[in-house]
Amino acid sequence: MSAAPSLPVRALAALGRPVVAAARATLELWGVLIGTLAGIIRSYGKGGRRPRGAVLAQMYAIGNRSLVFVAVTLGFIGMVMMYQACLQFSRAIGDLSQVGLQFLRLVVSDFGPTLTAMMLATRVGAGIAAEIGSMKVTEQLDALRMSGVLPIDYLLVPRFLASIVMTVALTILGAAIMYGAGGLTAWLSFGVNPRTFFDPAMVQPRHLALGLIKAVTYGAAIPIVSGFCGLRARGSSEGVGWATTAAVVGSSFAVIALDFALSVGALWLFGGDL
Amino acid sequence: MTARAFVEFIGVEKAFAGKPVLRGMDLAIGKGEILYIIGTSGVGKSVTIKHLVGFLPIDRGEIWFDGQRVDQLDERGFYPVRRRVGMVFQNATLFDAMTLTENVALPLRKHQGLGWKAALADARRRLAQVYLADFADRYPAELSDGMRKRAAIARTLTLAPEVVLFDEPTTGLDPVNARRIDRLIRELSRSLGVTAVVVSHDLPSIMAVADRVAFLYQGRVHALATPTALAASADPIVQQFIAGRSSGPMETPGF
Repeated sequence: MSAAPSLPVRALAALGRPVVAAARATLELWGVLIGTLAGIIRSYGKGGRRPRGAVLAQMYAIGNRSLVFVAVTLGFIGMVMMYQACLQFSRAIGDLSQVGLQFLRLVVSDFGPTLTAMMLATRVGAGIAAEIGSMKVTEQLDALRMSGVLPIDYLLVPRFLASIVMTVALTILGAAIMYGAGGLTAWLSFGVNPRTFFDPAMVQPRHLALGLIKAVTYGAAIPIVSGFCGLRARGSSEGVGWATTAAVVGSSFAVIALDFALSVGALWLFGGDL
Repeated sequence: MTARAFVEFIGVEKAFAGKPVLRGMDLAIGKGEILYIIGTSGVGKSVTIKHLVGFLPIDRGEIWFDGQRVDQLDERGFYPVRRRVGMVFQNATLFDAMTLTENVALPLRKHQGLGWKAALADARRRLAQVYLADFADRYPAELSDGMRKRAAIARTLTLAPEVVLFDEPTTGLDPVNARRIDRLIRELSRSLGVTAVVVSHDLPSIMAVADRVAFLYQGRVHALATPTALAASADPIVQQFIAGRSSGPMETPGF
């Protein structure tokens, strides 16, 4: 009979297990992304068979059904942020003429896409993971495979394409509402002239490009992370619950991490001009 | 070279999280045969049939189908196998967002490359064969369990499979619907020469339909016989299972 492993070996094994699990999960996540990109080529390439109306249906589910939620949330955030900004500006320098100019630049390049995506990560991410997760635990994914359909092609490709388009659309809407609500707050609470506030002078094409790149990246990341969590669901309803929670946490984290990475990249590229 | 059975499992081993389920299982199934797999819960009955269509990879051993070794195939390699081997799942597993016709048309479109119109027309014909023509445009949620199961069977049969795997086909059905499913399995085998592998706990079904029964115990085929011979077996473990006695020589983990 072999001797039991020593304490250092057991401690190393205990430390190594989560590292191995995390590395495996990361590889699987990349696998889902690559599989989805390959699925787009399979479905929309030459001779491909795209699911009828699937992207439009998902655009409606992801975009239209999130519209009120995103609009209301970003409107309130815009009001709160502007109120706090005006308060601090008036205390520190006593001049509110620059507040609208700075706010618009931030909304376009950062707050608009990031906060919209955070809202979508909770609503859309949970929905995707719950749907795919419950299909997984009820063997519907196996039934798809028996029918000659790759689950990624059927479930993730339409969601991926729809999410990119609708995240960009909702970002434009959300940013506009956030900026408008901020301007209204500045005018009603601090008497900032709307003509001074709504001045796009400081927004450069690079800010618009950065905002657009962020929206597209978040729109791609949310269905990939959520779909990955749904595909990993095990067991029964508890597994679906776990997958849904993991999807919300993972998608939100992905948005924040990508925001950081893209902002650092843009700073490195444009330096102080950003 | 030895002649292989139509479907053959040789020394198949499978463990989940270090816990062995199949421990060197051997099983040979003839063409056109109706073979029932029975055994206690968790003994590996469903796992066995899932191995054949590549839903679960085996740890060790070999699986052969019609002279071809299939256990080493990748996902794409299993496509041709799944065209010839259909599966009826324990739950109907119809796709909620599709009507019955669309559900049945999906494999026709994907495996046989039919256009939507032709696939839908064929699907309607298949649904009429299982007496669901009037429900063709309904969604699965609007139907009873028995109807959903019949639609799932119609979906499986659209590709005219040579082997059909049934995972507990009569579970959750009333006796009338259960006997209808039994009759369907027998007709498939007798009229079309389809090989049926059925995982079940339903003793009346087994006695009425099976050609042979494989009794799984401790990860291996413990007994393989006709239903009558199995019922008459002197093996105390087989007897305990068939009689449904809670006490006896059978080891049931967790109890």
